[in-house]
Amino acid sequence: MNNREIAEYTLEKLTKLGADAASVGVAHGSTDELNVDGGEFSLMRTLFDTNVGMKVIKDGRKGNISINQTDRQSIDEACATVIASAEQSQPDDAHRIAPFAGREKFTLGVLEPDIGALYDRINEFLRATKQDYPKIMMEQFIAQYERENALYMNTNGTEFEQESGEYSISSMFSAHEGEKAGSFNGADALFTDLKTPLIDLAGHRRLFGESERSLDPVSVDGKFVGTLIATPPLMEVFLYSICANFCSDGVIIDKTSPWIDKLGKTVASSSLTVSSRPYAPDIVCGERFAEGFKSEDMDIIKDGVLKSFVLSDYGARKTGFDRAKNHGANFFVTPGSRSVEEMIAGVERGLIVNRFSGGEPSANGDFSGVAKNSFLVENGKIVGAVSETMINGNFAEMLGNVREISRETEGGGRRVLPWVAFGGITVSGK
Amino acid sequence: MLKDYISQMKGAMGSEHTEIRAQRNTSRRVGILNGDMISNSRSEESGVCARVYRNGVYGFASGAEYSESAVREILEAAQRNAKFMDERTGKGKPALPVIAKGTVEYKPYFSDPEQKAYIDFVREVDAYIARKYPKLVSRRVTAYADSMEKLLVTNDGADGYSIAPRAYVPIVMTANSKDGSTVEMFRVLGAERGGCVDEKFKSVEDFAAEIEQNYEQLMAKAEGVYAEAGVRDVILGPNMAGILAHEAVGHTVEADLVLGGSVAAHLLGKPVASELITMVDFAHTLHDGSPAPLPVYIDDEGTPAVDELIIKDGVLVGYMNSRESAQHFGMEPHGNARAYTFSDEPLIRMRNTGILPGKSKLEEMIASIKDGYYLTDTGNGQADTTGEFMFGVNMGYEIKNGKLGRAIKDTTISGIAFEMLKTVDMLSDDNVWTSSGFCGKKQPMPVGMGGPALKCRINIGGR
Repeated sequence: MNNREIAEYTLEKLTKLGADAASVGVAHGSTDELNVDGGEFSLMRTLFDTNVGMKVIKDGRKGNISINQTDRQSIDEACATVIASAEQSQPDDAHRIAPFAGREKFTLGVLEPDIGALYDRINEFLRATKQDYPKIMMEQFIAQYERENALYMNTNGTEFEQESGEYSISSMFSAHEGEKAGSFNGADALFTDLKTPLIDLAGHRRLFGESERSLDPVSVDGKFVGTLIATPPLMEVFLYSICANFCSDGVIIDKTSPWIDKLGKTVASSSLTVSSRPYAPDIVCGERFAEGFKSEDMDIIKDGVLKSFVLSDYGARKTGFDRAKNHGANFFVTPGSRSVEEMIAGVERGLIVNRFSGGEPSANGDFSGVAKNSFLVENGKIVGAVSETMINGNFAEMLGNVREISRETEGGGRRVLPWVAFGGITVSGK
Repeated sequence: MLKDYISQMKGAMGSEHTEIRAQRNTSRRVGILNGDMISNSRSEESGVCARVYRNGVYGFASGAEYSESAVREILEAAQRNAKFMDERTGKGKPALPVIAKGTVEYKPYFSDPEQKAYIDFVREVDAYIARKYPKLVSRRVTAYADSMEKLLVTNDGADGYSIAPRAYVPIVMTANSKDGSTVEMFRVLGAERGGCVDEKFKSVEDFAAEIEQNYEQLMAKAEGVYAEAGVRDVILGPNMAGILAHEAVGHTVEADLVLGGSVAAHLLGKPVASELITMVDFAHTLHDGSPAPLPVYIDDEGTPAVDELIIKDGVLVGYMNSRESAQHFGMEPHGNARAYTFSDEPLIRMRNTGILPGKSKLEEMIASIKDGYYLTDTGNGQADTTGEFMFGVNMGYEIKNGKLGRAIKDTTISGIAFEMLKTVDMLSDDNVWTSSGFCGKKQPMPVGMGGPALKCRINIGGR
């Protein structure tokens, strides 16, 4: 059966078994993957997979199941199981299948890969890294081409179909000189053609250079309160944490979010605008539909004011707030007017932090952890890389203390983010 | 149980190392937030894969369809991929050494009850907590279970069958703290070992003491103070010691990370810890003869699993290996190459990694500290290939003049593993193991970890 036949068969079966409403998502995908380990090619993988995800509502009760087999017997068994799961659950009016949201087909990315050319690009990447950054050891490098045909249908008539293909890379590396070794670092990117050398994607050159300059770290004595300049990769991590801690289903439903009464109110410095934009041209294969709704771009914070929580349809119906227009990724922060160099020149004492190795933030937004791949700044100048240095702060307080936002941004097909300087961060050394 | 469509493919495997694995993973989840059921899901993922080693490179292929013809197609695709890589890389490395052949089976108790079993128990726990602790701002109870069933054939090692089920019930309680913000405390019921939901979770009363302890810790934390940042005398509770063994030491001695530049590349045979420290990655049976939390009897390259001694009396003595890395280092593979789903290739993974207990009593250890901390619970941890690590601390107490004091707010500890371990001067005589977590390394993987309480000097975050 093809995707449509599977989806139609499944919905019909679920309805016959007593579902009041149901949805089904069917996806067929294939992946070609090339791996480098310890700086050498190690593995080529070819993967074929399918997924059939079902959601049913029966008497106000919800059940979900996903399987990866598409023969009739497997689908029949899954239909019976998910109906039983729903029947055994408890009713909740907030559960539903999305109302009719249209019928649309999306074609995204590149649909025909060139794996031989991808191999050549990786070879070129390894040679360029060795030549330009001789201290870098490539612990792991993974390049993929992923192709997917996906179809969503529900009993309210919605049909969304997506055909997509994308290349991706992810790297993990560190600098070495004799027995000296730096912290590991990494980068990732999505892209749709092989026109650009891979070393010029995802900030690899910046990160390689920084890793090489980190082999003789300086120590931070004692502790001080200063400025944290978050690089684009760190900003993405912070934004995911902030959304999870302050804006997501769990903390809004149980009202433990410090932002529970902040919608439409100021939660950040007025220079800060955070949006989630899957349709932006810089984003590769961004989300087009989710939960049976067509996705849209959305502002989360605009000019410092909280514009949206990141709620699912269930979370929205449970709390009375609006459902998020997408699931909260592909972050953009509106750039500022000063260069990164000018930002650094304005810092009396602080850290440029590229990676944060920290515990889960507390419910109130407190966070603490180790500043990795980071540099000490004193009197407007970079003093050197740091080791064994911890940073502590609170996300809510930090957002209200934005000092500068750079005009430069970094992307990688998943996000477009600048460097952001926050005041009031506690830095402690050994 | 998985049908066997793969044994008959032995004749088509050729002379290069080849493995074919059929696998089925299951996952079940039910979650309740303040009495409302927010999740109720099941998933199944199954299929077959093949991997072929050729002159220093691997070809791998996998597919969800599992039939005689599909297995043949997947094997041929893996062979094509190995050829593609070999022709381009020209590494010319020798074949992998042949290891012991035979068949290894692990068939523990396994059941896969309907969703009702999870729903009923979660509701029972939720109702118990709601009734007993009305002051809570929020409560969350989840039941989840997963399993990996594997059927493996190889042409130059052992064949195997195994099934590995796990089931746990995490609870999260939230309360208001004295400064008006909220504090959380979580605990995983049934964390000490794998198993199935019907054998582990029969009555909430069996877990009353653990739930009570979680509540008491939450109330203490609600009155908690910030830790004083800096390098301090600290006792890491057994849960912390386990994550230390796994994250801070274990990853640095995985041979693929050693080849990628881990600090352990220069430390084999050298002292890396206090003489009190002996650390082992157990395969299936612990030092005291009891079953490991998540037993592994054969890995996914066909290597029968035995223990890997990593640190002996403070000296680094071993790495964890795949067959390929063992050949590189001139070591023996001990069964650490494991894959998470049918579409994953085996990677070097830990199994049940722990520090062996010492001879001290926890009370003596606390009494020996004038001004420091006793840290009991962690939420997560990360480590660098340099051995620098960070663990979140979810629960801890001040120690003042040899006595436990106020609870502290959530914080973080960090250090360099092979420096910090040299400061260990006391180990408790008990041992606690957990098995509910996933290790992340390209693929997730269930792992066990454990240890005694240990006294050391460590950098603690705070204000």
